[in-house]
Amino acid sequence: MVVRIRLARFGNKHSPFFNIVVAQARSARGSKPLEVIGTYNPIPKLPTNLYDENAKARPYKEIALDRARAKYWLGVGAQPSDPVWKLMSMAGLVEEKPTTYHKA
Amino acid sequence: MAPRIQTRVSNALLPLPHFLHILILILLNSLIMLFTIPFPPILGYGRSPDQASPTNGAAYKHHIPGETNYLKDARDMDLTDTTRPFPNNRNFISESVLSEDLRNEVYVRVVEKKKSLRAVSVELGIDMKRIAAVVRLVELERRQKSQGKPMALPYARAVHEMIPVTPLAEQGERPTFHEPINDLPVHPSTGSQIFYPVPESRSFTRVDAGRVFSGAPAMENERKEKISHPSDLAEEVMQNPGSIEWVGKGANARQVLQPADVRIPHPQLVQLERDRMAHPNERRVVADLHAQRLKRQEEAEKKRRERAQERREKSVKHVEPVGGRFDYRIQDAVFTKETVGVDGRAPWAPGRRYGVPTNDRTRGTVKIPTRVEA
Repeated sequence: MVVRIRLARFGNKHSPFFNIVVAQARSARGSKPLEVIGTYNPIPKLPTNLYDENAKARPYKEIALDRARAKYWLGVGAQPSDPVWKLMSMAGLVEEKPTTYHKA
Repeated sequence: MAPRIQTRVSNALLPLPHFLHILILILLNSLIMLFTIPFPPILGYGRSPDQASPTNGAAYKHHIPGETNYLKDARDMDLTDTTRPFPNNRNFISESVLSEDLRNEVYVRVVEKKKSLRAVSVELGIDMKRIAAVVRLVELERRQKSQGKPMALPYARAVHEMIPVTPLAEQGERPTFHEPINDLPVHPSTGSQIFYPVPESRSFTRVDAGRVFSGAPAMENERKEKISHPSDLAEEVMQNPGSIEWVGKGANARQVLQPADVRIPHPQLVQLERDRMAHPNERRVVADLHAQRLKRQEEAEKKRRERAQERREKSVKHVEPVGGRFDYRIQDAVFTKETVGVDGRAPWAPGRRYGVPTNDRTRGTVKIPTRVEA
């Protein structure tokens, strides 16, 4: 059976929060995973302490990731789902997936 | 239902509630006049009718600074007592606040003259936390002024008239201390009474008492001999906060309780006093020693802060995708037995838990931010 690295949704209605988990591909989203290796908060936050020089700072999204465990699981063949692939490519753990569309 | 107010008036004059009261009062007055009922005279209220303008309420719009324009003939009330802004409420006693000049001076000394919070706190007798808050707020005020936002100045003036104010000392005048600056909160572990027999021949200082309270083994003689006074530790701890020992294991791990000389907000003042005793008639020497110590401590603190900031930045990777609306901050996390507990469910572990109620709606759960990131 395939082991996947994927997101598991937590949080209440309209306030999503994800654990980045390693789990068997056929198991339920909310079931207990093999391992939790990170978190992803998709709700953008505005940086605090905005002074005049950085007043136009963009909002940011928070990711926490255990790189060592992520590398291990990738090494033994765990397959990231698309959203996790995107996060991991930003962390520099995997190559960015080629897109089928071209940005204008 | 209160009448709806359509006219838009600048809120720079008064804060909203007062402004509404006055408008409602004026509206009421005009209503009363419409029905040709004379304005009922209220006993004990100040201005005589001849002083009052045609609309009566206008008489109360401005007051003589320092006194009220109502409550004139109250004999048993002490209207000069500024600690009681509401003379009828004897139980309401106000603490004093910083005057405008004083708070501006705090900002000037910290931001423009680049003095340390610690030094400014000692000079002006204001708590360090308050100094930090004042600097933040004055910064905010200046920014709002530069953006052309209205200030509620009459409101501020009125409040400053009502409550006691700590003034800024004139040149050559002794400064009024706003509050005690070296207060030490009671440490919870000193709450218990411990019967700890010590032989008379052994020296037992506040340093040893701290170790007893935190259940640490007695200090080795070699180290102990180097400490002539508990305040000697203050500088060592300030230079290297990691030098404080730890006792206990796992969740029970705690730092050894330090003597009060170390934990007070301004430990350098103890050393200053000791210098004064050591060199009774040499003010210059004492001042030099103090200045050197302050400089040393500030440098150490600055270095420590920079190191901490560096470490924090190193663990966060900033990603700014091209064409995206958001940035991403990728924080290094470690999900091991130590950080998430044996069963991966430790309450301090990052991420959300499985099979554990979130308890985010239980009574007493604090959901608002409890601190400001520096």
